[in-house]
Amino acid sequence: MAQRLSRRAFLEVGVTSLAVAAVPTRVRAQAGAIRLGTLTPLTGSGGNYGPSMLKAMQWVAGEINAAGGVLGRKLELVSEDDQTNPEAGVRAARKLIDLDKVAAIMGTWASAVTTAVAPLCWESKTFLTTVSGSDTITLLPHQGYLVRTQPNTQLQGRKFAEFMVAQGSKRVGILAVQAPFALPTQKIVGEELRKHGAELVAAVVYDKDKTTFRSEIDQVLRARPDMLYLNGYTPDVTIVLKDLYKAGYTGAKIAQAYAVNQKLLNALPPEVTEGTFTIAPSPAIESAAYKRLAQALGNDDLDPYSCQTHDHISLVALAIAHAKGESTGTAIRDHVRKISQGSGAHVESAVEGLKRLAQGKEINFDGASGPCDFNEIGDILDTKFRYEQAEKGKFKLLKIA
Amino acid sequence: MPREIAQLLLNGLMAGTILAVPAIGFTAIYAVLRFPNFAIAAHLTIGAFAGWLANVSLGLPAALAVGVAFVVAGLAGVLNDELILKPLRPAGALTTAIAAVALTLVLENVVRFVFGNDLRGYDLPIRRDWQAAGLRIAPQQVHNFVIAVVAMAAVFLFLAFTRTGKAMRAVADNPMLASVKGIDADRVARLTNFVAMGLAGVGGVLVGLDTSIDPLTGFRVILSVFAAAVVGGLGSIPGAVVGALTIGVGEELSLLVLAPAYRTVVGFAAILVVLTLRPRGILGERAY
Repeated sequence: MAQRLSRRAFLEVGVTSLAVAAVPTRVRAQAGAIRLGTLTPLTGSGGNYGPSMLKAMQWVAGEINAAGGVLGRKLELVSEDDQTNPEAGVRAARKLIDLDKVAAIMGTWASAVTTAVAPLCWESKTFLTTVSGSDTITLLPHQGYLVRTQPNTQLQGRKFAEFMVAQGSKRVGILAVQAPFALPTQKIVGEELRKHGAELVAAVVYDKDKTTFRSEIDQVLRARPDMLYLNGYTPDVTIVLKDLYKAGYTGAKIAQAYAVNQKLLNALPPEVTEGTFTIAPSPAIESAAYKRLAQALGNDDLDPYSCQTHDHISLVALAIAHAKGESTGTAIRDHVRKISQGSGAHVESAVEGLKRLAQGKEINFDGASGPCDFNEIGDILDTKFRYEQAEKGKFKLLKIA
Repeated sequence: MPREIAQLLLNGLMAGTILAVPAIGFTAIYAVLRFPNFAIAAHLTIGAFAGWLANVSLGLPAALAVGVAFVVAGLAGVLNDELILKPLRPAGALTTAIAAVALTLVLENVVRFVFGNDLRGYDLPIRRDWQAAGLRIAPQQVHNFVIAVVAMAAVFLFLAFTRTGKAMRAVADNPMLASVKGIDADRVARLTNFVAMGLAGVGGVLVGLDTSIDPLTGFRVILSVFAAAVVGGLGSIPGAVVGALTIGVGEELSLLVLAPAYRTVVGFAAILVVLTLRPRGILGERAY
């Protein structure tokens, strides 16, 4: 009993003193530095990307601070790990919002995490920037407190359809895995194909846990497609490609680059994958922003997400500067489109943009990921895509456009 | 339409034969040890990886890789049973079955720890299908079919004609009587585990030969294996074969009326129908 009391007393004293210690820091921080939160998947299935996404943001913050900060105030990053897990993401976001009082949270990756964190943000008027692609995210009632730099299903579907038509396809078949994006993509691709005088002749959604897809393939091939869109994940697309080869299919094939990747090419004989096209959202690799970031991170082949978070923090810093230093989520929401698009001078770095804004000029920021122009619900209007084709077990770059 | 149905029947027959091999293992363990050993999923994966190592690293042909998978998965099965499941058996079938599910998760992650999450394909040439009369069949499917039939025939011969096989059937029929007759139940249990998990391993290679393998390979087929055993009659080895063919053909024929995404429902529906109308399964419960 005595022991329990003393532990409780200790906790009370400890917590109180910690809270007291925290207060002056926060007050000081509001007056001085601008506090921004990063929430990236440092662990879990997004763990391949999170650390580099964070590094990109830290680098931009360092550059801005070295050049004098945002209207004289330093940027201070508070970084949390969402563990690619909505529950952990919500806990981390709560801490960032309630304790650290950040103006913006940047970098959520998995759609499930973003969907869970977004309501906390708009309710607390904290701005959220994300790289998640699911269509549903920008349809949330986020009141403008959210933008994303990853193209949604709509934009990706359009690019796929345009490319297939450009390859001369008239009759397209889709073999899609049972996933939230299967039917929306099918609908969009069908509509876009019709616009260009082509046709979606068959669409089969399969269960990814099957060990063979022979019957599904028979079903789709009965419609005699000249192009097949394999809209699945790596494990099932591997089997589909094998079964297509066995079935004697010789038409064209196209897939998402995250499904048909180098690992898949290594796992299959080249004759099975030969000629398969892949499309993926691409960073703007010709841009000055990309080149600077690549050099800073010591990596010539940056992933799209690190480029996007580079742009997130740049956009947030510029929006705060445009709002005359008002470092709140609402100010960022109201000003982000005023620095990301429009007729202002084209800039590709936050430091340069801050300089122009200080001179009273308007700017239009284009980043390492692309033009960063947003529609009213926070979706990216356009981005570059990378088109590749499998050739003898390796990828050949066709174009970035 | 008749051609389409014939093709679906053919596909189902091939899929069912492969399914039958681990289903025999599952039902044999149930017959002798009286609990559903879901750890068969992990042993299927272990066998698939053992076969893959034999095929890709040692360059052995597929038929020998099947042998390696049998031995490795069988030994793993005996070891896991001795260390983990056997001490729990006195606590009842349900406890042991739950422990078997947990064991599957652990073993799967051990495989993931060693081999990673990547997909692996066997080192085999992929050949175009043979086509005849508008039907098509892959040479690899025929090859797998033969391996599966040989494995099943070996099990039947073993159970019917060897002393040890007869001992296994005796324990399955009446453990008390078998023990009175001086049959060592422990030895029979170990042997059953070895053969059953070995068969699971063979099933793993057969699945992998036609597709590719990863740590979740076993987990993906366990529902169908379980459904096959239940439909045929838990504990009946010919029942497992009949059940597997029923599930295999049923899943394919369902495509005539269902979208492929709902194919998995056939396994569940079959379990439901059989347990409602004929709880002992199609062939009832006999150990051989």
